[in-house]
Amino acid sequence: MIKFLKYLKGYVRIKVWGFSPERFMNLCSNKNILLWDIVKEGDVYYMSISLKAFYQLRPIVKKTGTKVVILKRYGLPFFVPVMLSRKVFVLGLLACITFWMWSSLFIWDIELSGNYQITDDVFMSFLKESDIKAGMLKNELDLVTLEKEIRRYFPEVTWTSAKLDGTKLQIDIKENDAPIITASVEEEGGRDLVANYDGTITSMIVRTGVPTVSIGDTVENGTILVEGKIPIYNEDATVREYQYVAADADIYMEHMISYEDKLPFDYIQKDYTGRTKTRYFIRFGNNELKIESGTPFLVYDCIIKEYKPALFEKLSIPVFWGSYTYREYMNVEYVYSLEQARQILEEKISEFETSLEEKGVQIIEKDVKMDSGGGNWIVSGEFSIIEQIGLNKDTVVEEILDTGENEADE
Amino acid sequence: MLVESLQLPKDVCMGALRVNMTGNTEVWIENYKGILEYTGQTILLQGKTGQVCFEGNRLTIDYYTNEDMKISGCITCVRYL
Repeated sequence: MIKFLKYLKGYVRIKVWGFSPERFMNLCSNKNILLWDIVKEGDVYYMSISLKAFYQLRPIVKKTGTKVVILKRYGLPFFVPVMLSRKVFVLGLLACITFWMWSSLFIWDIELSGNYQITDDVFMSFLKESDIKAGMLKNELDLVTLEKEIRRYFPEVTWTSAKLDGTKLQIDIKENDAPIITASVEEEGGRDLVANYDGTITSMIVRTGVPTVSIGDTVENGTILVEGKIPIYNEDATVREYQYVAADADIYMEHMISYEDKLPFDYIQKDYTGRTKTRYFIRFGNNELKIESGTPFLVYDCIIKEYKPALFEKLSIPVFWGSYTYREYMNVEYVYSLEQARQILEEKISEFETSLEEKGVQIIEKDVKMDSGGGNWIVSGEFSIIEQIGLNKDTVVEEILDTGENEADE
Repeated sequence: MLVESLQLPKDVCMGALRVNMTGNTEVWIENYKGILEYTGQTILLQGKTGQVCFEGNRLTIDYYTNEDMKISGCITCVRYL
């Protein structure tokens, strides 16, 4: 702190020699002049003195018969005139500061996080529509309106947060995990529930509609399981009219599905020769500067690593550097052994089974055989499964012919 | 004595030198009148009642006012004359 004050006021390093420098120092202290860093080298004394005090030295120097020479000047009072004489430098400095301040008025990068269903592209095109882009003025951006607009445009977004972090616009969104329930449209006319497989019904729970089959029945594809018209009877047990409803039921059916998969005898695998070559590059925007160009191998794959210098992470200046690593390989043909083929196919079958189970299907029985033919290992079989079935189909509207007659009777 | 019975500080009343040393490298001195001699090996100070001489190597005066001063360097001897 004291050092800073000294710097602010300015001080000089002086050299004192002559008749009695000790007296010079004593007179200085008597006049309340601070001296510091006094060093004696031979007959010469070196010391520091503040700029203001230096101007009071003349009478002391005369009285003591010493000589004083300035060795070096320190501090702001000396620095400012030097700076003022270097106009171009000062101008450049000012221009630089102005440029920084001016460029911080803009948004240079947009970062989106928290999106799973909405892709970045979709979101960016939305931003484009709402005139929000990298390079726009910060003042033109209304964060609250933007948040509202996002929620309005994307109904699945339940929460948004837009904030400015330096020159970066950060948008955080949360999507609704649960599916959006759209109000079911009340439809005119009834709907039947129809079988979509051949099989045997194992369980039935009917909520609306009239069941036409029962548990244990074997039905064909297309058979109506639950009818969407409920008859309303007259007193004489004849149908007076039909009330049409959308049939709703949980019906489980046992049926067979077939499964087939093939695996060729031979396959091609990349065998890396172990020869690799790394090349470095620097990229400015879309312009890439490669240190070496051309491809080093005939057959190769390439790993590209790209980094952004840490300095530019906040500033969003599109400068990248990284490396291409070329790895040479050869395409080698291999033949599966019986054991390998069996293992791979078994894995495929078990994958198929898990996919069935994920759909809520219960596997009762399976019968799978492995065979070879046409250059392939073939696995085929049948699965006996229980699953929920039923397709919606419009109910055939039935005209009741005797209505007129009934009315005539009354 | 009056000063002793009243427990007054002697440096104020009698104008005695105050020397405050930290190890053998730093000394703070108050109540002096001036420097009589300064070389790299000795610093001779004039007090109100007597003189004190600091001997050592590479002696420098870090600051010097009419109130107090600081000497640093390798001090080997302090003598009162």
